[in-house]
Amino acid sequence: MIGLAARIAARELRGGLAGFRVFLACLALGVAAIAGVGMVRAAIDAGLRDQGAVLLGGDAQMGFTYRFADEAERAYMAGIAERVSEIVDFRSMVVVGDGENEDRALTQVKAVDDAYPLVGAVVLEAGTLAEALAGADGLPGAVMDKVLVDRLGLAVGDRFRLGVQEFRLGAVLLREPDSATGGFALGPRTIVRTSGLARSGLLEPGTLFETAYRLDLPDGADLAARETAAEAQFRDAGMRWSDSRRAAPGVERFVDRIGAFLILVGLAGLAVGGVGVASAVRAYLEGKVATIATLKVLGATGGVVFAVYLMQIGALAVLGVGLGLILGTGAPMLAAPLIEARLPFPAEIALYPQPLAEAAFYGLTTAFLFTLWPLARSQQVRAAALYRGAAGGWPGLGALAAIAGLAVVLIAGAVWFSGTMTLALGTAGGVIGALGVLAVTAVALRALARRLTRGLRGRVAWRLAFGAIGGPASEAVSVILSLGLGLSVLAAVGQIDANLRSAIDRDLPARAPSFFFVDIQPDQIEGFLARVNGDPSVSRSENAPMLRGVITLINGQPAREVGGEHWVLTGDRGVTYSAVPPTNATVTAGAWWPEGYDGLPQISFAAEEAEEIGLQLGDRLTVNVLGRDIEAEITSFRQVDFSTAGMGFVLSMNPTALQGAPHTYISTVYATPDAEAALLRDVSRAYPNITAIRVRDAVDRVTEALGAIAQATAWAASATLLTGFVVLIGAAAAGTRARVYEAALLKVLGASRGRILLSFALRSALMGAAAGSVAVLAGAVAGWAVMVWVMEADYAFEPMSALAIVLGGIMATLLAGLAFAWGPLAARPAQVLRAQE
Amino acid sequence: MAQVLSLNGVGLTLAGNAGPVEILRDISLTVTEGETVGLVGPSGSGKSSLLMLMGGLERASSGQVLALGQDLSGMDEDGLARFRRGNMGVVFQSFHLIPTMTAHENVALPLELAGVADAFGRAAVELAAVGLGARMDHYPSQLSGGEQQRVALARAVVPRPAILLADEPTGNLDGVNGTAIMDLMFGLRDRHGATLIMVTHAPELAARCSRVVRLADGRIVGEGQLSEVGA
Repeated sequence: MIGLAARIAARELRGGLAGFRVFLACLALGVAAIAGVGMVRAAIDAGLRDQGAVLLGGDAQMGFTYRFADEAERAYMAGIAERVSEIVDFRSMVVVGDGENEDRALTQVKAVDDAYPLVGAVVLEAGTLAEALAGADGLPGAVMDKVLVDRLGLAVGDRFRLGVQEFRLGAVLLREPDSATGGFALGPRTIVRTSGLARSGLLEPGTLFETAYRLDLPDGADLAARETAAEAQFRDAGMRWSDSRRAAPGVERFVDRIGAFLILVGLAGLAVGGVGVASAVRAYLEGKVATIATLKVLGATGGVVFAVYLMQIGALAVLGVGLGLILGTGAPMLAAPLIEARLPFPAEIALYPQPLAEAAFYGLTTAFLFTLWPLARSQQVRAAALYRGAAGGWPGLGALAAIAGLAVVLIAGAVWFSGTMTLALGTAGGVIGALGVLAVTAVALRALARRLTRGLRGRVAWRLAFGAIGGPASEAVSVILSLGLGLSVLAAVGQIDANLRSAIDRDLPARAPSFFFVDIQPDQIEGFLARVNGDPSVSRSENAPMLRGVITLINGQPAREVGGEHWVLTGDRGVTYSAVPPTNATVTAGAWWPEGYDGLPQISFAAEEAEEIGLQLGDRLTVNVLGRDIEAEITSFRQVDFSTAGMGFVLSMNPTALQGAPHTYISTVYATPDAEAALLRDVSRAYPNITAIRVRDAVDRVTEALGAIAQATAWAASATLLTGFVVLIGAAAAGTRARVYEAALLKVLGASRGRILLSFALRSALMGAAAGSVAVLAGAVAGWAVMVWVMEADYAFEPMSALAIVLGGIMATLLAGLAFAWGPLAARPAQVLRAQE
Repeated sequence: MAQVLSLNGVGLTLAGNAGPVEILRDISLTVTEGETVGLVGPSGSGKSSLLMLMGGLERASSGQVLALGQDLSGMDEDGLARFRRGNMGVVFQSFHLIPTMTAHENVALPLELAGVADAFGRAAVELAAVGLGARMDHYPSQLSGGEQQRVALARAVVPRPAILLADEPTGNLDGVNGTAIMDLMFGLRDRHGATLIMVTHAPELAARCSRVVRLADGRIVGEGQLSEVGA
């Protein structure tokens, strides 16, 4: 049977692919979007993997917070590595000029030794790093990111200050090899020699800085064994190990997450394409009713008929997926230089089989999922259809089970490939839910249109428009499904983006402070507070001593074994001390230590985080602060609100536990915007070592990062919309013959072309408005779900984004509808009507 | 002579927009081997529906249809399709050739479906017999109406069916082509010895049948020679 079905299928396909343009375009676009995103993700993964040592700046790295390595640690490193390079990383203020011309900006300083970079190369506008850092005129040299150079109006040879040390700009920095491993930076980079900072006052005890020791290990060194050995000795002292196997886990995680998210958006696009695929197959099979009936007259069973058309659709699906893979592979390869140049981390654009297999899986599964229904119905066509036309009917139980099975396979595949069950199931639920609501809307619109048609006597254009929507062979279902789903994705992106921006841009600064001042030395705090609190424009300031500590043990057990990979336990955290509970915190359980308490160390822990980790009152935590273990008992939990960007510490201890350790103060200052500049100038002049982080600038940086994510998402969503538009064009094209006949009849009856055009435009606009309205509803629900459940933030309906979606829907259907209106309007009635006879 | 078709009290009711429509009522008819039966009657009298019932293309609402001793009403769609493969050939007024297949492929198709090994060889012989040996690789759209009907005729007789059903086979053809097809059809029937049942409006075609059955309003209203029942 298979051989015969294949022969018949091959003969059928000789008719050409004219009826399958929409089918192929929908499938190819959806697969291309997924393959393209997957290829770029794989390219970045490969880049990170292959360039691991360059990204890290060495084969391995031992990192410390707040301190340099001690003698034992240095000796260990010297013992295992052939070369070691020491890096110090911290935030500071760059100050240029004097008096009225003084200007300042936040920078992320990297202080390096002569060995830097162990691997890779720093790219400067001119010259070498060694020359640039050598300095001149008795001043140490520095290189600075082009953004900061431009922002401060500097030129090579100009002077600037970091703390109280003056530097000479030796060159403009274009690229540092190890930038991707540095995490999120609030300020552009400045690189200096560590020796040049000796008199800057910036690396005083207690100052917030990080050190990293890059290790050049002997060839063939067992990195896993080295990691285990180093962690066994130094992890409890706050040492963090990383190596070239996963040089930039943060970037890797981010790329994987955003890649998975974009692929799921692409999958929604494929679902839109599925609607087009189903429409195309349905239309094709409707045209084949006579052939199917004839086959049955000649003795073909339903199974043969099903196999014949399944093979045809299968062959076309393979072709569509193949085209998509070519497009999805070709586009990133053609744009490789552009992509590689714009990404802040290495990407090796090449042919990767895994993302292509993933895209092919999605494409083929979707194609069969959406075509099984019409295919199974073709099996039901009876020989009598040659006389009486094909009666509609439900596919058999086997086909329905196969459709359900394919849906499960597709969703399971999405969960497997994305690696995030919640996101994949959420997307699948969203798409299925949106399709359901859109289908109900389409049916309701058709019923409403039929009802309204009767009440519109005398309004010919409206009556014709409603008649076309409500009548048989209406395009309403496929138009509303395809466009509606595409617009839903875009509406959801729009709602989420607008909400995130408003949450950060509007709500937060209203409650957030103007500045964070960090690295305030204990002997500076008094003078600093005098300046700040004496300023009438400052409404409030909070300050607290700040140290960094790592929770190493919980009740004597390794902390990660007890609490898992909770963010509080995975690195060093800010620790403070206070005699009394802070004014913005409420003790929810236990009791704060009495005033003047000087007994065994006690801890007040943030209540929500304690619950997540599973901590109880009375638990004993070992916290490593600057290499010294402090064991303390949890005696209270307190509510900490991190969302206001005010001061919030997970860990607070009684003063005597920490007072002896070197530390600095952190201060948040709430001032009126017009007073910010003077405050910043006075503080940085009086205390050059103090770093000011303007919250507005930090918010801008975060908004910028979010904007890039929103832009990437919008690109993926626009692929979805483009697919929807292709489906729309397909539906409009499929209806052309009916519209030509309708226009001819109307002309015979005396309708002007203007009136006919108005009727065509009205039906398009009505369907577009319906699709857009449902999309806004679906987008709002998705936006609400993401904001409330994922972002744990408030959701507010964004009307402008919604309005744009509805208008976009109307415009898209109008464009597609009117593009195919000229034929019917131009056709001569006699010709058309004669051809119908 | 053996009975090849037997209809006992057959009725056909179809669902229409305005409710059920009774197409055929209480039809009882027997056709014996080698007969040529013409079904005649005004439009809408149920001639084509009766022919479809005989071919298992339509399912009777009541009564029994026996073809070659088998009860068609007891078979499902696939069973009916399998039964038709070797036993019945059908010729339509609108030819119903598969447009994506050549004349040769169209004629070979029922043999392929029946699993006959030399399907294309036999199809070529049959096409030559209807005078289209030189047009075998032409698609239906490249053939005239008369040629298409000849292909349809070749396709109907190629499996050597016991029963040949024809629904107004000359209805879409001009006089010359209609006569040629008629001659061809009767010639093939004589050569293959099939039982022929034919719906027709053409008196000259009905006149060539050994028996004529007249229908009106879904019932048999006359049976016998054309001169007895009228054209």
